[in-house]
Amino acid sequence: MAVDMELEAVLRPPEYPQASYPPKVITLANGKHMTVREVTRDDVPTLLKAVHPTLFIDKDYYNVVGARIYAELLAWQYYRVQNEFCLVGQIDGIMVGMVNSRMYTAETGMSLHTLAIDRGLRVGAHLFAAKMEHHIEYLGQDEVLIVAESPIGFRRWMIEYGLIPTTIPHELGGAPSFRLTRDLYFATKSRLVVGDRPVPDDLMALAEKEIIVANEAMIREKIAGLKGR
Amino acid sequence: MSEIKITGYKCTECGRVHYPQHEQCLSCKGRDFEPLAPEGDATLLAYTQIFNLPWGFDERFLIIGVGMFENGIKAMGQIKADSLDGIATGMKLKPSWEPVRVQYGEPVLGLKYEPV
Amino acid sequence: MRDVAIIGVGMIPFGRRDQDTLVDMLAYASLKALDDAKLGEKAVDAVYVGNMGGGILQHQTAIASALVDRLSLLPAAADTVENGPASGGSAMKNGVLAVASGYYDAVLVAGGEKMREVTGWRATDFVATLTHPEVEYPYGITLPGMAGMFTRLYMETYGLTREMLVAIAIKNQAMGALNPYAHVEMNITKEGILDSPHSVVNNPTVADPLHLYDACPVSDGAAAVLLCPLDQAKKLTEHVPVVVAGFGQATDTHTLQEREDPTDLKSVTLASQQAYKRAGIEPKDIDVAELHDAFTILEVAESEHVGFFEKGEGGKAALAGETKLGGKIPINVSGGLKARGHPVGATGVAQIVDITWQLRHELPKGRQVENATYGLTVNFGGFGNNVLSFIMKRA
Repeated sequence: MAVDMELEAVLRPPEYPQASYPPKVITLANGKHMTVREVTRDDVPTLLKAVHPTLFIDKDYYNVVGARIYAELLAWQYYRVQNEFCLVGQIDGIMVGMVNSRMYTAETGMSLHTLAIDRGLRVGAHLFAAKMEHHIEYLGQDEVLIVAESPIGFRRWMIEYGLIPTTIPHELGGAPSFRLTRDLYFATKSRLVVGDRPVPDDLMALAEKEIIVANEAMIREKIAGLKGR
Repeated sequence: MSEIKITGYKCTECGRVHYPQHEQCLSCKGRDFEPLAPEGDATLLAYTQIFNLPWGFDERFLIIGVGMFENGIKAMGQIKADSLDGIATGMKLKPSWEPVRVQYGEPVLGLKYEPV
Repeated sequence: MRDVAIIGVGMIPFGRRDQDTLVDMLAYASLKALDDAKLGEKAVDAVYVGNMGGGILQHQTAIASALVDRLSLLPAAADTVENGPASGGSAMKNGVLAVASGYYDAVLVAGGEKMREVTGWRATDFVATLTHPEVEYPYGITLPGMAGMFTRLYMETYGLTREMLVAIAIKNQAMGALNPYAHVEMNITKEGILDSPHSVVNNPTVADPLHLYDACPVSDGAAAVLLCPLDQAKKLTEHVPVVVAGFGQATDTHTLQEREDPTDLKSVTLASQQAYKRAGIEPKDIDVAELHDAFTILEVAESEHVGFFEKGEGGKAALAGETKLGGKIPINVSGGLKARGHPVGATGVAQIVDITWQLRHELPKGRQVENATYGLTVNFGGFGNNVLSFIMKRA
């Protein structure tokens, strides 16, 4: 698609300075190692392949989450969202989950979504925590506004982090946001945020070589299938 | 301690103290009981910190224990503590009768223990 | 009293079964059991269904009547049996007595539960309804909470360690990974759930000192068995008949605190002793066992109370590998409740199904206990206040 940079200057949202996320590796319950790293706009077409099957899963709000992530990733790719970032979890190069979020202001983050493809390994919990870690520790923000489509997952975060209710409408549909403050983050960090840095070279090379996405049927089975906790 | 609304039952035949109520003594099958109110502080017999709470609780966790009162009544209650630090079997607990949960919009009163 | 044989068994994969109703699952498992036997023209005389939560979770009662209709087994006698997590065991007991008494010849026993219909918090509350309504329930105690208190007492009294419990979790999940009926088919490692600092997220505390991987999942599922008198079995099945050599059931105080020694699971001891006595055997004669490991601590405690190990030694034995396939006494080769799953009403019947497959020698290598002749089950109701134990023998 031809891009008119003069027009883009008008259409693109202004960007805050945005630090990058230092990758880390987490040992999961099954002994496998999940790398968590920030991906770029160039990776969006691959990520969309992983998200696409979720559009047709009508349980646990996966279709709503999937549709919104799909739009957010595309918008990010085409510079139509301000300061978005995306972290991806990979085991042996295979994508097992992703989170996305953005800087609403320099001080305030707006958490977008968490998608776990491999279930039963707390991938979602690890990636959500990494997202908060990025907002607070690397982007240097003071707070993150959070809401969720799935009541089950959200209640878990609300209780585990002790999120503070606000009346601030979240940009995902306007529901009242819950706030994670810097203080709350550090109070809960030791039990919720884990990972080792730096990532060993061989693991990092494997993760960066390719984001391997399982086929549609397998993704649907992993997410909506019978197995796993 | 009459504000602790628990009634124990002491078998008048063999002296075994029961809580909850039984129609017959667990030891001697006696049918006659003397009602008892919990006396004094309790000694902690068993405890745990529960994180996956049932529906109806919004707390992240509850610390629940079983205490034994000086007159032998054993009763479960919520322990007032922020963590398990300092909680140990055998410690002394001061009982109180307070809201322990909300059910159908109404507070439910029950036993709480404060580490002494 | 007649000898009772198991001539047909069936189970459906446990897990999250959104597409099935409770009666769907019971029907599918029952049909498998009926087809596993060769009843021919013979009618099913009675149906017993173990289920704990139909009235609460599905807003449906009289499940056995619904199942009989669904299976077109009219005019069979039908009873729904509720005994908390031992509902399946109690249904099995009723079925065995019905045949042993001479009153009925072909009896279907099914157990099922649909727990994933509600959120985890509501499922936890539902299970907590088995606690004492005045003394325990109001405080927010949960079954994991009861197990947590029990585990701490076991640790303080017998030196049980987390390593021992983790060894059981790893063993059972490894076996579950080989079991096509298991809810959880995932190997876990000691590093991932205990040694690594990341285990704080991978394996969080559920009820101290028990963690996520010490507890069974919340499952949907169903299992069924078909019983008949032993002297008719050869005509009604092509499998080796498996005889119910004995069973026992015992109760204990409703609340843990009223037990003289809260680490003493008298009901497990008594129930298994009754079973051994009726079967005319001793613990050392058992070749394979399915114990009720809703929590890893229960596998430890039950292995001691049924007489496999001395009190306080069960954890060490597990750590030493004595309860693995190929070990001194293989326990929970199916994966147990921990990995196979625990749809509460189904469990007691599922244990019977798994032992039957073992005693028929029908399982693949890697899951089959060699030359298994006697098998034992323990189905643990409440927190040990109502326990059933069955011993089965290869005919």
